[in-house]
Amino acid sequence: MAKTELMSPVTGTVWKIERSVGDRVEEGESVLILESMKMEIPLEATVSGVIAEITVEESASVEEDQVLCVIES
Amino acid sequence: MCDRVMSKRSKDDALPQASEREVQLAELTFRREESRAMGGPEAIERQHLNNRLTVRERITELTDSGSFREVGTLAGTGKYDENNRLVSVTPAPYVAGLAKIEGRPVALGGEDFTVRGGTTFGSTRRKGGQGGFVEDLAFHYRIPLINLIDGAGGSVTSIKRRGHSVFPGVHGFERSVQLLGVVPVASAVLGTAAGGPAGRAILSHFSVMIRDSSQIFAAGPPVVKRSLGQVIDKSDLGGAKVAVDTAGSVHNAADTEKEAFEQIRRFLSFMPSNVWELPPVTASTDPVDRCEELLASIIPEKRTQAYNMHRLVNAVVDQDSTFEIQPTFGKAVITTLARLDGRPVGIIANNPRVYGGAMDAKAARKQIHFMELCDTFHIPLIFFVDVPGFLVGKKAEEEGTLREGMRAVYVAGNLKVPTLTLVIRKCYGMAGMGTCNKNGVDLKLAWPSAEWGSLPVEGGVAAAFRKEIMAATDPVAKEKEIEAEFKPYASPFRTAEAFSVEEIIDPRETRPVLCEFIALAERRLRAELGPRSRCGVAP
Repeated sequence: MAKTELMSPVTGTVWKIERSVGDRVEEGESVLILESMKMEIPLEATVSGVIAEITVEESASVEEDQVLCVIES
Repeated sequence: MCDRVMSKRSKDDALPQASEREVQLAELTFRREESRAMGGPEAIERQHLNNRLTVRERITELTDSGSFREVGTLAGTGKYDENNRLVSVTPAPYVAGLAKIEGRPVALGGEDFTVRGGTTFGSTRRKGGQGGFVEDLAFHYRIPLINLIDGAGGSVTSIKRRGHSVFPGVHGFERSVQLLGVVPVASAVLGTAAGGPAGRAILSHFSVMIRDSSQIFAAGPPVVKRSLGQVIDKSDLGGAKVAVDTAGSVHNAADTEKEAFEQIRRFLSFMPSNVWELPPVTASTDPVDRCEELLASIIPEKRTQAYNMHRLVNAVVDQDSTFEIQPTFGKAVITTLARLDGRPVGIIANNPRVYGGAMDAKAARKQIHFMELCDTFHIPLIFFVDVPGFLVGKKAEEEGTLREGMRAVYVAGNLKVPTLTLVIRKCYGMAGMGTCNKNGVDLKLAWPSAEWGSLPVEGGVAAAFRKEIMAATDPVAKEKEIEAEFKPYASPFRTAEAFSVEEIIDPRETRPVLCEFIALAERRLRAELGPRSRCGVAP
């Protein structure tokens, strides 16, 4: 089992969490949506696998490069 | 190196006497063997245990099979016995020469870390590094230079040997600087680089380092500890996380040495051998008239929704032709080499997924380097524009976004290479000005999703009509009302009507249109070959 961390590309807030821990996601599918500079920015899975962890809640502030989600594949 | 006495056989030997010529040839063979043995089996094993190749293995891996023509093979330090007979040779800690990459000649060289850690060997003439002979080879023959860097620079021990210390800049970077204007220079940082070799890596058009096993810094942990009292590990100080992702000192990272060499080969595949030649055109199997249906719907209806700009660019250019420079630094802009019908192009695309594509200081620095690279080597530029402006806020101001951003505008304004501007969505303000070349035909194309201006209607109305809005009984409704009044004028079709933008295209036509204009640029490129003159003072 390889673990892949999805990191925030920006400083901003978590607008909407679309998937839950345990969900299976395919590469390119959005896990959650961030908001920064008035833009909605999807955080997409970089690998296909199962979501092992989502480290943030909706409306939380996040920093650039902060780990937001861990996918097991 | 193995100790062996090389000399004419004495008359007492039982063996038949070798001729003078045979003896000379035997000595040449012996000296070559000594050189190829590098620092000896133990030192080579240590290099391999550190997950690093030897310099000779690196050259073999990087270049076309059997193409290496070594220069300076015999340079080193000979050991002689009391009768002045050669016993052994410690090779110079730098291997250099000529080779071919995809059939095209290059000059290349690298420190041999197995010999005294790749430091200088005491000759007054240098084989490589700054001011080294390998740079003269590249300059004289007008061919690309590749530096395989694995050395930590000067050693204080040389003071005693010479009897004096050397002024910085004597045997300096003058040739390295000169090369940047005439031939492509690529550097791979393959070990721990500090001082001169680190500087040499930076004076390159393209640099790459190994993510987990190489480091680069002005000075390493011992100097940092003595100067600042900071105790820091060499990877934390100058690993790829710092040097590539955070500082942008080195352009790209690779997981292995093999991948780093693939990146260098890929980079050079887009480059002409020198500034007097056109970049190489290859045969393309991707149809010029390919219209991608995906492009009609890739831009979300809602203007605040980001989309995947990498995907958009990939759908337009020749299939699998992109080579991204600095993919992990200044990510608000994407800078990638690519091909359109086999012709090299440089693509600068704002990335709406990183701060809405707003230009920050890092993105500006990255864009400036890429524009200068393409301008120098006559590679036409295409801007895929979706920029809301410069990044705003205290942090952005502290980082010098305004100055770096205006430097990007200045460099864009000085471009001589043909450029095309394709507005995908937003093109606002000063950052928007940095996406056109006003010296050329200044061809501006746009998708119907485009919008532009000094600043967007949203927000712009609030600033310009503040008094009126505040005085209204329902300020929110008033703002919306004025916005609605202005909105129709923001349509790109109105601008096209006024011929302020040259053409609005169906997104699906993007590839055929761009291919046509890039093919058309060739005559202009041919007419403007040669070095670029630089003038003026960049802000």
